[in-house]
Amino acid sequence: MSRLAIRMAWLIAVSLAAAPASAKPRDPVHEITSQIICPCSCGEVLSGCTCETGKSMQATVENGIRAGKNKKAIVDGLVAQYGEVIRGAPKAQGFNLIVWIAPFAATLAGFAIAFFVLRRWVRRRAALTGVSRGAPSDRTIPFPTGRALESELDALRQRAEEEVRELKQKR
Amino acid sequence: MSELGRLALLLGFACSVFAVGSIAWGLRTGLSGPLRSGRRAVWAVCGLALLAVILLERALLARDMSYRYVAEHTSKDLPLHYAFTSLWAGQEGSLLLWLLILSAYGSAFLFAYRKRLDPFYDAVAMVVASVMIFFTGLLSFVCSPFRILATPPADGMGLNPLLQDPGMMIHPPILYTGYVGFIIPFGFAIAVLLLNRSGTRWIEEVRRWTLFCWGFLGVGILLGARWAYIELGWGGYWGWDPVENASLMPWLVGTGFLHSVMIEQRRGMLKTWNIVLIVLTFELSIFGTFLTRSGVLTSVHSFAESNIGPWFLGFILLSATIATALILYRKALLESENRMDAIVSREGSFLFNNVLFVALTFATFLGTTFPVLSEAVTGTKISVSAPFFNRVNVPIALALLLLTGAGPVLSWKRATASVLQRNFILPLFMGTLATLIALPFGATGVYPLVCIFAAAFVTTTIVMEFARGIQARKGLEAGALPAQVTQLVRKNKRRYGGYIVHAGMVILFVGVLGSSVFQKEAHAPLKTGDVLRVGPYTLTMRGVTERQKENAVYTTAILDVKHGNRFIATEHPSKALYTKSQQPMTEVALHTTPAEDLYMILGGVNEDGSASIQAYINPLVSFVWVGGLVMVFGTLIAVSDKMRLRREEKEAP
Repeated sequence: MSRLAIRMAWLIAVSLAAAPASAKPRDPVHEITSQIICPCSCGEVLSGCTCETGKSMQATVENGIRAGKNKKAIVDGLVAQYGEVIRGAPKAQGFNLIVWIAPFAATLAGFAIAFFVLRRWVRRRAALTGVSRGAPSDRTIPFPTGRALESELDALRQRAEEEVRELKQKR
Repeated sequence: MSELGRLALLLGFACSVFAVGSIAWGLRTGLSGPLRSGRRAVWAVCGLALLAVILLERALLARDMSYRYVAEHTSKDLPLHYAFTSLWAGQEGSLLLWLLILSAYGSAFLFAYRKRLDPFYDAVAMVVASVMIFFTGLLSFVCSPFRILATPPADGMGLNPLLQDPGMMIHPPILYTGYVGFIIPFGFAIAVLLLNRSGTRWIEEVRRWTLFCWGFLGVGILLGARWAYIELGWGGYWGWDPVENASLMPWLVGTGFLHSVMIEQRRGMLKTWNIVLIVLTFELSIFGTFLTRSGVLTSVHSFAESNIGPWFLGFILLSATIATALILYRKALLESENRMDAIVSREGSFLFNNVLFVALTFATFLGTTFPVLSEAVTGTKISVSAPFFNRVNVPIALALLLLTGAGPVLSWKRATASVLQRNFILPLFMGTLATLIALPFGATGVYPLVCIFAAAFVTTTIVMEFARGIQARKGLEAGALPAQVTQLVRKNKRRYGGYIVHAGMVILFVGVLGSSVFQKEAHAPLKTGDVLRVGPYTLTMRGVTERQKENAVYTTAILDVKHGNRFIATEHPSKALYTKSQQPMTEVALHTTPAEDLYMILGGVNEDGSASIQAYINPLVSFVWVGGLVMVFGTLIAVSDKMRLRREEKEAP
């Protein structure tokens, strides 16, 4: 089960990591600069950075695109110069795979736990009331549903308000 | 005066220790005297913290450079109002503000329950006092704000220019009011466990306290986003910065708790889970302070240099251990008759909603702390920033948004097929319709389309809920629709307040979607007479001016802005160079309409005399702020519910 969850999380993580947040075509410079962090103390994403280091890096990207270099080569060049720290999201490899997989694995595991816990509680309830699993809903014990309860409450409120009104009139 | 400040904090420490000891003794022996003394000691700490704040403010306003804190965070040319707010500019002052708010919460709590004779409330006060021991201790022995310099400098180092903004004058106190407030729910949870109390009365009380501080934290986060938008000058309002994440995490878990607490109130279930959420919210709010103040995020090495980091970590570990031990020790108390009628029910949806809230928090926590972990393991410095969070957190947040629509229209206990059909067909139809309408407008990514679908889906369910409520009350209320809606909300403030919060959330998501996906950007160096076009706007450079204002030199570009052929305004994006720190700051020029913001930044003046101008069109940003305000409005309605009940209790004979 846990292995399946991890595999599914890995699949989701990889597909989401590959999926662009928006399919709207951006200019290639922005595609790179929105994924890079300025290495100076400002720590801004490069596309919005106005510091000197940021501006020089933006120029490197713009020149690279103009010279016809591919995006990977430009990013790799910058990483070679400034280090891995400039990648806004770490490469999904080695130890850093954890940060990509764990959130989705945790979500899936959470869902699975919630599902099994809920199913156990439902079975416990069914055992107590003698209702067999899979019985049609109209044969269950008629507990008021949320909506029925609300309408009952509203009817009661209405009755109470009418009675109060009558009492006030009598006074 | 500095001695008096130090004495006040030392006395505060002593009073906190006394309060804990005295209340513990009172609880053990059943004597009311020690309980009373303990309560008074909590009041005393509040008074002493206030005295310390006044003394430090006095030094800040007088720019008494013999105080190290004053010399580090003010300067003689600093405007008076910023000298006042520099109380929370540094570590020591921030911790002092923490203490003041913490002790104020303790006193407000004791005042609110002054007529209750139940020692349970004393136990809550004891927990608050225990946390006070930590903060007064820290301020007395580790990082006192009243340290004196042997040779005072002629002038101070000045306030960080980033903090010289009107938003920063109110953002931190409001954020802290949210952060610190979670001590009360935590106190309730620990007191319940300590005294082995059963019953759900405390749950209602804790819900209101949580809602109160959750609301403040939300407003604080929103103000922070607004500040980042205006002051940081990168075109956005949320950058998944560690400090932002730190404030988001307790808010997320708190939101999860506000949902699951309803199950405990209605069905007596999830007792342990709710206590775990309360403890987690509190620990995360302390962790947030730890993150911002310890320097751990810059590097593992700076953490070692920080003088309060290890203390905070120790406190978090200690309090979490005590809470966990108590939860395990009182396992029997927290056992509940967990039975469910069906998985597809309101309870079921709340449980899945809780999973998503905790997962979102976990993803944020992991992403925020991972650079430190990775550096420690691999030895390589990495960043985990907005590009990561946008990929990992956004899908989880969208799933939450979808559940926001589904949860409220599922019945409690069991949602039958007919209920599902009745409640889901229209929202699903509207969601699909909105998605199809959005397609020709350029919304083509997976996330934007899911977001548009979810927004329409949730909005329809909310409108349906209001319509049903009005229908059910037909005959009771006459009058126009607004009057009927008002009456409906007044009759069940908790429920409809919650729906209003959901509506605000939808508006906020739409704003985030618009401003992130449809943002347009253009930049160019402009000389006088040059033109920059971005979307339908034309920016014409009229020149650059330079002038000294207060403690900075402002370089300002003058831009004539046209929308199409229509002149709309002359805008002034600036760059301020603060004289003291020689730190440059961007002063954004903003032209706001309900549909979009034109956001202009002066990058700097180049050697050839041209000015680097960067312009963004941020569509629907106003929705982010309006959505936030609607959420605040809904929270206020939900909080006021009990107030009405209380008034009625008083009026009753």
